Amino acid sequence: MAYRPSKRARRSIETEPPNIAPMMNLMVVLIPLLLTSAEFVRLGVIELNLPPAAAGPDGTVLNQMPIESQRKLDLTVTITDRGFFISSAMAVLSGTVQGNPTIPLENGNYDFQALSQKLYDIKQRAVNQFADADHIILMAEPNVDYQTVVSTMDASRTIRLHGQLEQLFPDVSLSAGVF
Amino acid sequence: MAFIPSRRKQHKTGPGEVRMQLTSMMDMFTILLVFLLKTYSTHGQLINPSQDLTLPVSDVQNPPEVGLDVTVSSDWILVNGKPVEKTSNLAVINGYIVPKLEVALERYAEEGRKLEAAYGTKFSGKVTIQGDKKLPYHLLIKVLATCGQSNFPNMRLVVYQREG
Repeated sequence: MAYRPSKRARRSIETEPPNIAPMMNLMVVLIPLLLTSAEFVRLGVIELNLPPAAAGPDGTVLNQMPIESQRKLDLTVTITDRGFFISSAMAVLSGTVQGNPTIPLENGNYDFQALSQKLYDIKQRAVNQFADADHIILMAEPNVDYQTVVSTMDASRTIRLHGQLEQLFPDVSLSAGVF
Repeated sequence: MAFIPSRRKQHKTGPGEVRMQLTSMMDMFTILLVFLLKTYSTHGQLINPSQDLTLPVSDVQNPPEVGLDVTVSSDWILVNGKPVEKTSNLAVINGYIVPKLEVALERYAEEGRKLEAAYGTKFSGKVTIQGDKKLPYHLLIKVLATCGQSNFPNMRLVVYQREG
């Protein structure tokens, strides 16, 4: 008759599973807390550089322009329903056809890419030449919508060249223009 | 002689205690927790975007700042959440100043200056402007001009940051 096999040799070492209940409690509390405070849309702000306005006699707004004797560029981008006009204190930059916008609409949409590129060319020539080579004035026709204005600001503030952001004209002012 | 283990004895151990399998759930929670911690921002929501307007989208990186909140939705102009003027009335106003908005802003400017005199908290004239992305330019410029006129020259336009 055989011996009864040894119990010690066959007994496996029982591993107690780790107690994860307190961990679970922690998760259950932390996750709702973070979920409620999470921001899923990121907001940003665009700073406007406006001189303090002074009222004219008939309720119009006159801007107090700083008195400077240096050469001024007064670069202005005007948004119209036909495209962008780029002008300076001296002249209006004409498009390929005389009288057309500098940057005409591209398939019915504004061509922000071309605007950035054009402003980049201007920036290259204007830098160190003018006192206000960081400044740009934006004008728009009355019915241009807010998104277009903001996108134009983006296009005139920076340009992405070869994956790098280049500063163009970071001081953006809005002008009411003459309606 | 080979020992044959008793079948009866093996089955006698029975179905014991059944433990819930929590490991996969823990994995899920851990991933969620890491994701939420990464998106967590310490300064919280300074600006609550209004429900009835869609802000424009922009590439700017500047984080929002606190300031007087002027909202131009499709129906109303609100200053710190209180309606002051109908947006539809804006188009018929001559000149660039919106009288009711000016009155409301002047009152806030007055309060700000009183605070500055009493407690020394600097009144900087900061105003954050939330406008619907469909807002036409001639209405926007009227609101901006009124803000500048009413001692709030420090204007900031609130936008959604573009993804990526």
